[in-house]
Amino acid sequence: MLTIGKLAQAGDISVDALRYYEREGLIAPAAKTDSGYRLYEEDAVRRVRFIQHAQACGFTLTEIRELLHLRQSDRACCNDVRQRAIEKKLQLATKIRAMQVMSAALDRLIAECADGTQSVDDCPILAALEQVDDDMERAS
Amino acid sequence: MKVELFYAPGCTKCTATKADLEAAAEMAATGVEWCEINVLDSLDRAVELGVLTLPALAIDGQLVFTTLPTPTQLATELRHRRGVQGHGA
Repeated sequence: MLTIGKLAQAGDISVDALRYYEREGLIAPAAKTDSGYRLYEEDAVRRVRFIQHAQACGFTLTEIRELLHLRQSDRACCNDVRQRAIEKKLQLATKIRAMQVMSAALDRLIAECADGTQSVDDCPILAALEQVDDDMERAS
Repeated sequence: MKVELFYAPGCTKCTATKADLEAAAEMAATGVEWCEINVLDSLDRAVELGVLTLPALAIDGQLVFTTLPTPTQLATELRHRRGVQGHGA
C-alpha cells in the first residue's frame, strides 16, 4: 500500500492534485490508517498515469471518468473508446479553427497599425476594436 | 437536397440504422443525394459544419441532427425543407 505522498512521488504529481482527483471521483484510497492517513493500492499509480495521459490528450476530468468506467465495463469495447477519441479530435479541430480565425483577425489589426509611434488616441488597433463593438451594438 | 451522414468507423448504431435512414430519405423527397462520410477521412468538412459528436447528420450543408434521427424524423425534416423550397421558388 502507498501513502498519498508515495503515490504522488510515483505518479510525478502533487499531493494537492491527487486530492483533487479524489474529490472528482477519479481515484479513491483503498484504506485509511488508524490515524486517518489515506492508503492506496499499487494499481493507483497506473490509474494516475492514465488520468495524466488522458488530460494531455485534451480529455476533461468528466470525460476521463467515463473512460475509466468504460475500461471496467464488460459491455464496452474498443470502438466505444475510439468513438470518444474521434469526438475529442473533432472538438480540438474546432477549437484550432476558431483560434486560426482569431489569429487572422489579429494579423489584420497588426497590419493596420504599421506606424507604432502614433499616440494611443490614433491607434488603429484600438479604433478597429471599438468599431467591432459599434457593429455588434447595431446588430443587437 | 444533399444529406450527409457523418460517422465514425466501427459505429454499430450507424451500421444498423443508415440503410433505413437512406430509404426514408428517398421516400420523402425525390433527388436526394445521400452521402456517408467517414469523419476520419473528412475531418475538415465535419469541423466546417460544426460536428462535435457522432453520428451526426447535415442537410444541404447545415448540421440538423447531432444524434441519429429516426427514419420518421428525417423524412419529416426533408418534407418540411422541400415544402419551404417549393414556396420559395
